[in-house]
Amino acid sequence: MSKVKTHKVIGARSTRLAIIFFIFILLLSMQFDPYNQYQLANISTLLIAVLSITLLTGASGQISLGQGAIMAVGGYSSALLVTKLGLSMWIAFVLAIFVSALFGLFLGLAAARLSGPYLAGTTLVMALAIPSVAIRFESLFGGDIGFTVDYGYPPNWLTNLIGEISIEEWSLYVALPFAALSLFAVLNLSNTRSGRTWRAVRDNEVAAALAGINIARTKVIAFVCASALAGLAGAIYGFRGLVGPSVYSTDLSLLLLTAAVIGGLRSIGGAIFGTFVIVFLPDVIERITKALALPETISNYLPALLIGFLLLLTVIFNPRGSAGALEHIRHARHSHKH
Amino acid sequence: MDSFLTAFFSGTSQGAIYALVSLGLVLVWRGAGVVNFAQMGQAMFTTYIASQLIQNDYSYWSAFVIALVSGAILGAIVDLGLMRPLTSRKNSQLLNSQSMRTTIPVIASLGILGVLKAVAGILWAGEERGFPSPIAANALTIGDTTLAITGFDLFVIGVVFVTLVLTTIFFTRTGMGLAMRASALNPEVTRLSGIRVGSVRTLSWAISGTASSLAGLLVTPKTNLSPNTLDLLLIVGFTAAVVGGLNSLAGSVLGGFIVGYVIAFVNVYSAPENVFLAILVFLLLALFIRPQGILGSKEVRRV
Repeated sequence: MSKVKTHKVIGARSTRLAIIFFIFILLLSMQFDPYNQYQLANISTLLIAVLSITLLTGASGQISLGQGAIMAVGGYSSALLVTKLGLSMWIAFVLAIFVSALFGLFLGLAAARLSGPYLAGTTLVMALAIPSVAIRFESLFGGDIGFTVDYGYPPNWLTNLIGEISIEEWSLYVALPFAALSLFAVLNLSNTRSGRTWRAVRDNEVAAALAGINIARTKVIAFVCASALAGLAGAIYGFRGLVGPSVYSTDLSLLLLTAAVIGGLRSIGGAIFGTFVIVFLPDVIERITKALALPETISNYLPALLIGFLLLLTVIFNPRGSAGALEHIRHARHSHKH
Repeated sequence: MDSFLTAFFSGTSQGAIYALVSLGLVLVWRGAGVVNFAQMGQAMFTTYIASQLIQNDYSYWSAFVIALVSGAILGAIVDLGLMRPLTSRKNSQLLNSQSMRTTIPVIASLGILGVLKAVAGILWAGEERGFPSPIAANALTIGDTTLAITGFDLFVIGVVFVTLVLTTIFFTRTGMGLAMRASALNPEVTRLSGIRVGSVRTLSWAISGTASSLAGLLVTPKTNLSPNTLDLLLIVGFTAAVVGGLNSLAGSVLGGFIVGYVIAFVNVYSAPENVFLAILVFLLLALFIRPQGILGSKEVRRV
């Protein structure tokens, strides 16, 4: 009885948090100029991908340096469905989730045999092979350049309802609902039986196996769920304008991992924070370098340098990320009171 | 026949370089239990140092030696400054998790890679530049026939051969080399027999840094130098290490040559753009057929 009750409470909590996130971003966008509204759309899209890492690495302990490659699977499949088969964008997004989940299944079957560094290296090779694949099957994938797709125009009922919608606003309205839904899904997932099983496997495989958990199957399921999320993110990300190897670069894969680590690999709030950091930090730095009139060679590489340092500092001093630090402070205060 | 020889010779000289990269990866993996994804970032950095010295009218060979030494220093710094404090955090909840113990160092090495690339970009403007070779890259001729191998290829093969002989002597004939092998095999027992396991560990980082620095010096005359050029080399070296066996030094060299031939033959008989696909397929095949590598031993799970 009590078990059912907790589930209900958790479901309500994740619904509430997802709605709060949705409204918060929406309110924030109203304060912003078009450029920053566009950045908010990027945040919403990339958050889905960062959540996939929170799920895969944070919850199930498998590391992927090639989430960009899975995003590419989602991006290419949805773009092909729209341009070749004339499907609607929304249906294509949903189908992209299934295609990339299927891809994740195959990948997961291979990954379940690999641990830590082997998996890291293999997924990195996969990410680097994307341009190769795109060129090899040029007639289908459009080679080195890829092909253009976009969100199209907002439907009439929406413009009738809230008036004129700019392109930037429309890209946010496309991405945000998916981000909120993904947030809801991940929040729920980590509190279900699956989530607990993943954590058990992550922390001690032998103990988990002794408790009757099928290790290989658990790892594969985690991979499928994470790939579904990454594929969805990739589909939305591609429809900003271009689906091609340059969009789903290795740099993107590593940037997403950085976001997850900076925020805290095991925290969903951390994923949101980390995504804000990787999207807005370059803008902030650009403003500072312009104000200080720094030479171009420095301003070009300064964001990468700072993000690299941030990653190193997080890993050394606070491996649980900003979410961990916050919890630490809260604990300290709590014990102080008593 | 001609194209076969071309592929064979280029496979040998490229494979020699891959063998160095893979050797560097295996050294750190055995010595410290980390796959160092920053390795070729370190090599890129030391190659830039050499390039800067040559621009300032130092001779090629003095720049060569300084690059190797700074490779060793950089490797030691990474271990002492980052990896050691990272793994010595015993009370961390995150590092108590089995899977995270191997994952966190991987993430840390990616951080180093990012920082090194950015610093190199700031210091050296990040544009591609050439890197000199001590020997002209003209095809050799015997009488009237032109061979499919250049003087530079022979130089690369020679340097790597000497390096491998020296490495073998170091690991089989010197006390320090034996200590490194011992602590890779069983750190606890090695520590109890009075060997400083920590210094041995730092030494493996330093030697790995030198090996990859050498690889950087040998590969850049053909590929040019930019903060990103050596990224691909890391992936190839990783594949070589997995194919040969991540815990076998001899296997890593063997894997380097095998992957060198695979790439060269794909390049000649298929198309250069298929190389990456070939690497991916080859890596997956190796992982499925023989996950411990050709010369690797099966990992024993410690309960």
